[in-house]
Amino acid sequence: MLKLRRTMMYVPGNNPSMVKDAHIFGADTVMFDLEDSVSINEKDAARFLVYNALKRIDYEGAEIAVRINGLDTPFGLQDLEAIVRAKPDIIRLPKTETPQDVIEVEKVIAEIEGKIGIEVGTIKMMAAVESALGILNAREIAAASSRLVGIAIGAEDFVTDMKTTRSLDGVELLAARSQLLFAARAAGIYALDTVFSDVNDEDGFANEVKLIKQLGFDGKSVINPRQIDVVHDIYTPTDKEIEKSIRVITASEEALKKGSGVVSLDGKMIDKPIIERAQRVLTLAAAAGVYAIEGGKEIGY
Amino acid sequence: MEFLNLKECIIENHGTVHRKLINEFLMKQGLRAEESIEYTFALLNEDKVVATGSLDGKVIKCVAVDENYQGMGITNKVISNLLNEAHRRGRQHLFVYTKPKNLSIFSDLGFYKIAEVSQEVVLLENQPRGIDGFIEEISSARRDGSIISAIVVNCNPFTLGHQYLIEKAAKESDFLHIFVVSEDKSDFPTEVRLKLVKEGTKHLENVIVHQTKNYLISSATFPSYFMKKYDDTVKTHALLDIQIFAKYFVPALGINRRYVGEEPFCQLTSKYNSTMKTLLPNHGVEVIEVPRRKGDREVISASRVRKLLREGKLINVKQLVPINTYQFLISEEGQRIIEKMEKALALIS
Amino acid sequence: MNVKTIAMAGTLESSDVSIVVEPSRNEGITLELNSLVEKQYGEQIKCVVLETLEQLKVKKAIVKIHDKGALDCVIIARLQTAVLRAAGVETFNWEEEK
Repeated sequence: MLKLRRTMMYVPGNNPSMVKDAHIFGADTVMFDLEDSVSINEKDAARFLVYNALKRIDYEGAEIAVRINGLDTPFGLQDLEAIVRAKPDIIRLPKTETPQDVIEVEKVIAEIEGKIGIEVGTIKMMAAVESALGILNAREIAAASSRLVGIAIGAEDFVTDMKTTRSLDGVELLAARSQLLFAARAAGIYALDTVFSDVNDEDGFANEVKLIKQLGFDGKSVINPRQIDVVHDIYTPTDKEIEKSIRVITASEEALKKGSGVVSLDGKMIDKPIIERAQRVLTLAAAAGVYAIEGGKEIGY
Repeated sequence: MEFLNLKECIIENHGTVHRKLINEFLMKQGLRAEESIEYTFALLNEDKVVATGSLDGKVIKCVAVDENYQGMGITNKVISNLLNEAHRRGRQHLFVYTKPKNLSIFSDLGFYKIAEVSQEVVLLENQPRGIDGFIEEISSARRDGSIISAIVVNCNPFTLGHQYLIEKAAKESDFLHIFVVSEDKSDFPTEVRLKLVKEGTKHLENVIVHQTKNYLISSATFPSYFMKKYDDTVKTHALLDIQIFAKYFVPALGINRRYVGEEPFCQLTSKYNSTMKTLLPNHGVEVIEVPRRKGDREVISASRVRKLLREGKLINVKQLVPINTYQFLISEEGQRIIEKMEKALALIS
Repeated sequence: MNVKTIAMAGTLESSDVSIVVEPSRNEGITLELNSLVEKQYGEQIKCVVLETLEQLKVKKAIVKIHDKGALDCVIIARLQTAVLRAAGVETFNWEEEK
C-alpha cells in the first residue's frame, strides 16, 4: 500500500511527556525535533532523550522521523552519531541549500550504518528547504540521494530570507511551494508543506491545508495534535472520487488478469498516472476509514 | 501531555523587546522586575507573555504565570529552566522568594521552607538540610552563660568603630557570637572582611567569629540591603531576616542579647534596627543599640573609610581603622581593591 | 568517567526527572531518591540508575534524583546528560552504545 504522509507532527525533542506519547494522536509521521525547538544549552539533553526513547518506546508502527541540527553546527555530527544508532525511519535535514548538504549527511549515515552492522541505505532521509537558494536548488536537492523520500518547505525562515512575512493567503509562498512541488514530482518523492503556527486559528489553518492540497502537496507539517484531524479530513476523498477510483482500479485489475497491457474504462484508455491517482485516493480513503481495501491486499498496476 | 506550542524566550541582562513585555506582565501580577536580575526565562504565546521567572544570583524571583495558564505545569517548566541555568552558572544552592500561596507548588519542586512573613512572603531553599545543616555546624560553638550575645556585621572594611562595638559587647557579655556577612557584594571580598574581623578581635577571649552563609543579611534573606534602595519592601525583608535569626540562631546558640551599632544616617539600616527592637524581645532577646564612637571630628563608619579611600586619602584612614586593617590596605591586595574602588568612582562621575 | 563538578539535567515537569550529579569524596555511588512513585518503583529506578552509571564507568558520585514519573528511558537519558556535563565531556563515545 502507498505510504501516506498527510501529517508530520513536530515533537520538541527535549520534552519527555510529549516524546513518550507522540504516536497516540494518529499523525502519519512523528518528527522528533533536535533543532529549533531545543535551546542551545539543551542540545545534549534532547539528543540523549530522543535516542533512548527511540530505542525503548514502542511507537506502534508510526513512521518516525528525527530532525537533526545541520552539520554546519557543533551539534549535527553528534546528532547523527546518536540518532542513526537509534534507527528511526527518517532523518530530516534542516535548512538544506545545496545537493552537497544532502550528500554530506548521507555519507555520515552510511558510515555509521556500516559500523553498527545494518544494511547501508536502511535509514531514509528528508530534506527541508528554508531559503531562496534552497528553493532554486530544489530540483538538484530532491535528486541528490536515493535515500530521500521527501522534500519539505520551511516557511518561517524562508519568508525572512525573502524579506517578507507570512500571510494567510500565502501569496509570498506560492512560487516557492510550486518550485518545491516540481522538484519533488520530477524526482518521484513526497512534497510536504510547512507548519501553520497559530494553533488557535482553525479556519486559517483549514484554508491553508485546502490550498496546499490543491497545489499537490502530499501533506503538511503540524505542531499540535489538534491540527491532525483537520488535515486528515481535508485529505479524505469524496464519495464520488472514491467511486470513480474503485472503477479505475477494478478495470486495471481486470486488464491485468486478462494479460492485457491496455486498461480502458467507459471506452477511454486509462494510463499509469490515473491508476496511481486512483490508488492514492483509495489509500487516503482507507486511512480515513471511509473505504476498506479488500483483504488489505495490494492493488497492482 | 500538554501541547501548548509556547515559544521559549531567554533574556540575559537587559535590552530586548521582550524585556518590556515581561515587565508589563509582572506589573499586572503585582511584581516588579529588579535591576539586579541577570537571567530571565519566559514563555510566549505569539507575542503575549504567559509565564516568566528570573535568576538573580542564587535567588529565583519574579516568577509569575498568567491565570489562564495555571494548573498546566507551566511553573514547573519555568523553574526547571531556571534551575538548569543556575547549575550551568555553577550555583546549586538556590533560594526562592515568593508569596505564601505558592508554597505548595515549590515544595513539590523540591524546595524547603526557611521562614515566612505572614501573608506576604516566604523564603525557601532547594537543599533539604540547608539551614538546619548550617545551624548544626555553628551550634558546636555554643557556650553557656547568663548573657550570650550576638552581633551581625559586614565590616566593609573593619574599622575602629566595629572594634569598639565588639569590645563593648564582649565586655558586657559572657560570650559573644560575631557574624560576618558572607554575601560577596561589597568592595572588600568576604574572605578579606572575615580575616580582618578575626585578626582585629584576636585579643578577646570570649568571642567567636562566624560566617552568616546565606542566612543573615544575604541577598536571599534581605535583598533590599544589597539593592541600596529604600521602599516599602524593606520592612518585609527586615522582618524575614530577623525572623530567621530568632527562629534558628537564637535557640541554637542560646542568644539573649543582640548588639547593634546606632545608625543615624542610613534609613534602611535604621528601619532594620527598629524592626529588630520590636520583634526580638518577644523571643527573649534584648536589643542593645550602641551609639557610634566618635573619631576626631566625625563618627567612624565604614562608609566614611570607603569614601576617603576612593578619594585617595589613605593617610586619613589610618586613624579610623585598627592597625591590621591599615596593614591590609597598604598591602598589594589592599591596593588592588582600592584601585578598583577608585575606578568605579571615576565611572560614575 | 570522572565526575568533576556539579551538574544537572532534566526538569521537574510531569513524566520527566531532574537529576543532579555531584563529585563525591567517598568511593561508590550515593543515591538520593525523591519520587512520586517511590513505593512501587523506587527499587526499579535505583536499578536503572546504577546500571546506567556502570555503563558510563562512573565509580564515585553523589546522585540526587527528583522523579516526576519518568519512564526508564527518560531516566537513562537524563542521567547520561548529567554525567557528561559533570565530567565536562562534550562528545559522547557512541561507539560504545549498542
